[in-house]
Amino acid sequence: MKAHKVIVVGDFGVGKTSLIRRYVLDVFSDQYRATLGVHLYKHTDTIPIAGTEEQVRLVLWDIEGAPLPGEQMMRYSLGASGAIVVGDLTRPDMAEPMRRAADMVEARLPGRPIGIALNKRDIAPAPDDASVAALKDRYGALIACTSAKTGDAVPNLFRDLTKRILGGKAGTV
Amino acid sequence: MSDGSTFDVQVLLEGARIVAVRIDDEMIVKEVVGDWCEIPVGEDVRDAVPALIGLEDELAQELPYIQMPFVSLGDSHETPVAISVQRDWKTEALWVLLRDVSEEAAVQERLVHQHNALSLAHRELAAARDAALMADNAKTRFLANVSHELRTPLNVVIGGASILRKPRETPLPVEDVLAFSNDIHDSGVLLLQLVDDLIDLSRAETGNLTIHEEWCQPSGIIDEMIRLTRGLAEAEGIVIAYHPSANTPEIYADPRRVKQILLNLLSNAVKVCKPGASIAVETSVAGSGDFVLIVRDDGPGMSEADLAIALEPFGQPNAETRARGTGLGLAIVRRLAALHQAEFSIETAPGEGLAAITRFPAERLAASAGR
Ligand SMILES: Nc1nc2c(ncn2[C@@H]2O[C@H](COP(=O)(O)OP(=O)(O)OP(=O)(O)O)[C@@H](O)[C@H]2O)c(=O)[nH]1
Ligand SMILES: [Mg+2]
Repeated sequence: MKAHKVIVVGDFGVGKTSLIRRYVLDVFSDQYRATLGVHLYKHTDTIPIAGTEEQVRLVLWDIEGAPLPGEQMMRYSLGASGAIVVGDLTRPDMAEPMRRAADMVEARLPGRPIGIALNKRDIAPAPDDASVAALKDRYGALIACTSAKTGDAVPNLFRDLTKRILGGKAGTV
Repeated sequence: MSDGSTFDVQVLLEGARIVAVRIDDEMIVKEVVGDWCEIPVGEDVRDAVPALIGLEDELAQELPYIQMPFVSLGDSHETPVAISVQRDWKTEALWVLLRDVSEEAAVQERLVHQHNALSLAHRELAAARDAALMADNAKTRFLANVSHELRTPLNVVIGGASILRKPRETPLPVEDVLAFSNDIHDSGVLLLQLVDDLIDLSRAETGNLTIHEEWCQPSGIIDEMIRLTRGLAEAEGIVIAYHPSANTPEIYADPRRVKQILLNLLSNAVKVCKPGASIAVETSVAGSGDFVLIVRDDGPGMSEADLAIALEPFGQPNAETRARGTGLGLAIVRRLAALHQAEFSIETAPGEGLAAITRFPAERLAASAGR
């Protein structure tokens, strides 16, 4: 069983760590503790694919946040099979850091699937359909309004991304 | 090199595959041969050093050197390590150096954390400042509007009065005197209404608009308000229809404020409608138990953008109707509804007429309150 590397990137404090910890450990904390460098989470999930339950091993890279993807973020992205770009719905300036992160992923990991998490849905209204459609068109990304706090849409986003990763590399799995 | 804080790992590569890992720390426990940690081909290596996953391919693509300064395992022990991976082209071996960086990490982490927390606070402050500036602009616009709205009827009053009192050889014809006094009277009424509206609005803004609630019958109030507006409507050739149903429930509300809501909505409707149009007042109890009051007209309706303007104080998207109201009506209705925890909304589209909907919550209904 091959393991897949999935990076999670975005501005700081948007909830990257919280989303991963919700998915992998099913926990949440209101405390903000900035991530330094990168934290690795190993996770084995069972994902229904074409009618059968498939075991998939993932290594999730929780990468230090920044409004602009720096050299470190690029270095940590090497060899990833897919990426999740996280934005914080409570921020009026959510779009720009997300676009930059997604552009970095596209340039560094061409052709690899991207998932977009519009996070903190529990304390912010959903974005308008037009801007979601624009993101979807631009990056061909999976998009979900998530809440790491309540767990809403979190596992599904990771699983849908994993399905795309497996789908794209069906021959080598 | 095992001094407790630093350890080496050597990973051997066969082609692009990792075949063995040497490590002088107990991080990888497998079959130990001498000071080597021998690991069968494949996944176990990746289990031990998950950071290497995905990198095999990168290194196979002749990337000479990879360095990752702070890596830690988030779900188990949190000793952060710096990882360097380098390929030895002569021996084909892949060298992986893991260095314990917990001390540097602790300092850096504090710095990063402080930096991030400060930046977030700074952004919040900036957003609050922008909001305050916008509120300030809105206030300035509002004041400019107020003085404009006061000035227009005042000019009529002063202009009219100065014509009337001007000494002249032949007195003004009676029709002219009548016309000027009518204009002065109407402007005075408009001014009074404007001042009343302004007082209500400012009370609502400061939370001082009080309501005196009692059980009241909406159908009676609706009848009364239609009677008040009917004269004006009929003069314009507009019909107002209302068919009260026998079982209209009583609501717990301030009858004076409900009248004000209705009067504003009805006079708005009359203002925008053309001769021949009709206005209907409808009441119903929704499935949710809410009491729904609708003032519907088949006038010109408005676009979403115009509606946003109309809901603001002095927002009159249609210049033609400007002279005929204070422009504070909808802003006041919205606040009066809110005082009753009622939801006020407008459904409209250009050419589709307009429905102003006030939804009193079920708790204000006699039936659900056990009356
Ligand atoms: N209400 C709410 N708060 C959230 C959610 N996700 C994260 N938070 C909070 O947002 C803050 C930042 O969350 P983190 O997960 O640490 O953010 P991060 O993206 O990992 O931040 P960096 O590591 O600095 O890049 C924390 O206080 C979390 O509790 C969410 O879905 N809802
Ligand atoms: Mg983090």
